[in-house]
Amino acid sequence: MRYFKFHISNLSFAVAVLSTFLLLVGCSKKADPVDVSPQEPSAMRVVAMAPNLTEILFALGLDDEIVGVTKFSTYPQQAQMKKSIGSFWQPDIEAILKLEPTLVISLGFGQQAAMASRLERIGCETLTVDIESIDELYGAIEAIGNAVNRQEKAKEMLDYLQAKQQLIIEQRSQSEKPKVLWVIQRDPLRVAGTKTYVNELIEIAGGINAIGETLQIYPPISGENVIRAMPDIIIEPSMDPAQFEKQKETAEAFFSRFSMTPAVKNDRVYVIDGDLVSRLSPRLDQSIELVYHCIVAEEEN
Amino acid sequence: MLTGKKLTIRLLIAGLVLLAVSFIGLLVGSEVISPMKILEGPNAEVPNVDFEIFLYVRLPRVFLACIVGAALACSGVVFQAILRNPLADPYILGISSGAGLGTMIAVFFGWTIETGFWGLSPIMACAFAGAMLTVWLVWGIGRVTGREHVTGLLLAGVVVNAFLSAMIMFLSSIIDASELQSVIFRLMGNFQEFNCVLPLMASFSIVLAGIIVLTVMSGRLNILSFGAEDAQSLGVSVEKTTLISFACAALITSIAVSLSGLIGFVGLIVPHAVRLVAGPDHRQLVPLSAIIGAAFLVGADAIARVLVANEILPVGVVTALAGGPFFLFLLIRYTKSIHWGKS
Repeated sequence: MRYFKFHISNLSFAVAVLSTFLLLVGCSKKADPVDVSPQEPSAMRVVAMAPNLTEILFALGLDDEIVGVTKFSTYPQQAQMKKSIGSFWQPDIEAILKLEPTLVISLGFGQQAAMASRLERIGCETLTVDIESIDELYGAIEAIGNAVNRQEKAKEMLDYLQAKQQLIIEQRSQSEKPKVLWVIQRDPLRVAGTKTYVNELIEIAGGINAIGETLQIYPPISGENVIRAMPDIIIEPSMDPAQFEKQKETAEAFFSRFSMTPAVKNDRVYVIDGDLVSRLSPRLDQSIELVYHCIVAEEEN
Repeated sequence: MLTGKKLTIRLLIAGLVLLAVSFIGLLVGSEVISPMKILEGPNAEVPNVDFEIFLYVRLPRVFLACIVGAALACSGVVFQAILRNPLADPYILGISSGAGLGTMIAVFFGWTIETGFWGLSPIMACAFAGAMLTVWLVWGIGRVTGREHVTGLLLAGVVVNAFLSAMIMFLSSIIDASELQSVIFRLMGNFQEFNCVLPLMASFSIVLAGIIVLTVMSGRLNILSFGAEDAQSLGVSVEKTTLISFACAALITSIAVSLSGLIGFVGLIVPHAVRLVAGPDHRQLVPLSAIIGAAFLVGADAIARVLVANEILPVGVVTALAGGPFFLFLLIRYTKSIHWGKS
C-alpha cells in the first residue's frame, strides 16, 4: 500500500513537472514572434564588473556597447543610466546573464575571478584583468582595447597618460621629498601603505610615503605612528562625494590632535575628491595632477 | 575565611601588578620611545616626539584600557552572580549586539567623519545608546516573564542578541565595502584614541562609581548566589539587589563597549581566574576582578601595539589569543579548589 502510494505521488510529481515544462515551452513559443529584432551577430554587448573598468570602456568610446555596470559606477554621467549588475564584490550572475553579454570584463580578485570562471562555463566570453598598480592599468587598457577592437584608441590613451606622467615627473622638485600621509579612514585610523598605487601617485608627484613598510596593504595605525612619522602633508580622499564639504569642515577638528606634526602646524591637510583618486582609471592624469598640486601647493604660493 | 587583613593584602598585590603592567604598557608600543627623552619634557623649538607620543597617545590609551578592563571584569562577576550562571559574561544580555548595531547604524549613515561634541564621536554615542536601549528592552522582557527566575531574562537576552546580530549582518551585506573595516574593527574590539580629556575623565568617574557601588553590594551578592528563596529568608531583598547591581553592571559595560568596541573574553575569564586563585567570596571577587581586569587589558593592548611593526591589531584578537592558554593553565593548576559561582 505504502509502495503504491509512493508510486502515485511520484507519478503525479512527474506529471506536474512535465506539464510545467510544456507550459514553459508553450509560453516561449508564443513569445517568439514578439521578439522582432533579432540581434546582429556583430553587435557587442559588454558588461563591466567594476567602476574603473566602466571608465575604461567609456574612454574607449563604447558608450552604446556597454550594457551593464556595477553599483557606484559614478563616472562618466552616462554610466549611471546603464543597468546595474550589483556591487563589484557581489555581482549578481542572473542580472549579468539576463543582459546577454558578448563580453564580461572582470577584475582578478577572488569573488570576481570565481564569477568569471562560472560565466565561462555557462558559455560567456570573459576577460579578466588585474588593476592594482599603474603599470597594470596600462596593461589592462591595452588588453581591453584588443578585446573590444579599439586598439588605436587604447594606444592613444596610453600615450597621453604616459606623457602626462612623464611631464609631472620632470616638473616636480627633485631636491626635497615631503612626507605624505594618505588617510583612508579615521576610525580606526587607516592609511595607504607602500604597496599601493597610492604610493605610486605620491612618488610620481614628488612626495614620499610617511609610513614605512607595513604588513597590511592599508594598515590600521595608532596615533603614535602618526606623531613619529611627522608627515609634512596629510591627504584624505573623501569617502562619500555627498559628504565632501562636510568632511572638509571636520578635517581640521579631527587632525588637530596631531598639532605637533608639520602637516597640521603648517595647515597642509587636504581633503580631495575620493571618487577620482580612489580608483585607477583613465582619469589617472587628473589624479596625478591633484596629488601634485597638494604636494607643491606651498611652493607656488 | 576572608578577613579584612587578607583582603587588603590581596588588593595591594593586585594593585602592584596593575602598576607594573601599566608601566610596561607605557614604555612599549608600535614606536620605540626612550624614557630619557620623555623625562626631558616638552620642547618649544624642536618638538620632543618621544614626549608627545608618551603624553598624547600612550598615557590616554593605557588609562582607557584600565577603565574598560575594570568595567568588563567587574560586571562579568556581577552577571555571573545574579544570573547564577558560570558562563554569563557582560555581553550575555544583548549589550554587545546592541552596541554593535549602534556602531553599524552610525557607519551606515556615514557619521564617521563628524566630530561630535566634547571629542565624542557619533559612533561612540550610537554604540552607547544601542547598548543601553537593548539592556533596557531585555530587562523589561525579563520582568514580564518572572521577577525571581533568571531563565526568562537569559532567554530574552540570547534571543535579542541573535535578532540584533542578524540586523548587523543585514546592514553589513548592503553597506559599501570600504566602510566595513570601520565596523569590523569595532566588533572585534579596538580602542578609540582620544584627543579630549573630558570624555575620558567622565567615563572614568562613572565606571569608578559603579565599581564602588558593586563592591558595597558584594556581600548581598554572596547571599544571592544561595538562590532567591534562601536570600529572601535571610533578609536580603532579592529584587532590589538584583536591580541595583544589574543597572550598575549594565551601565559600566555600556560605557566600556562605547569606548572600545566589543572586547571579548575579559568579562568571562578574568572573574573565573580570580575566583580560581583567590576564592569565590564576592567581597573580594568584585574589587580584585576590577583591578586584575584592568591589568589584563593593559597588557593585552601592549601586545596588540607591538606585535606588528608600524601598525596596530584589534585588541580583542589579543585578549583571547593570549588569555586563553593562560586561563587553561590556571584551570589545571587550581582545579582542586573549584567552586563554580557558588560561595
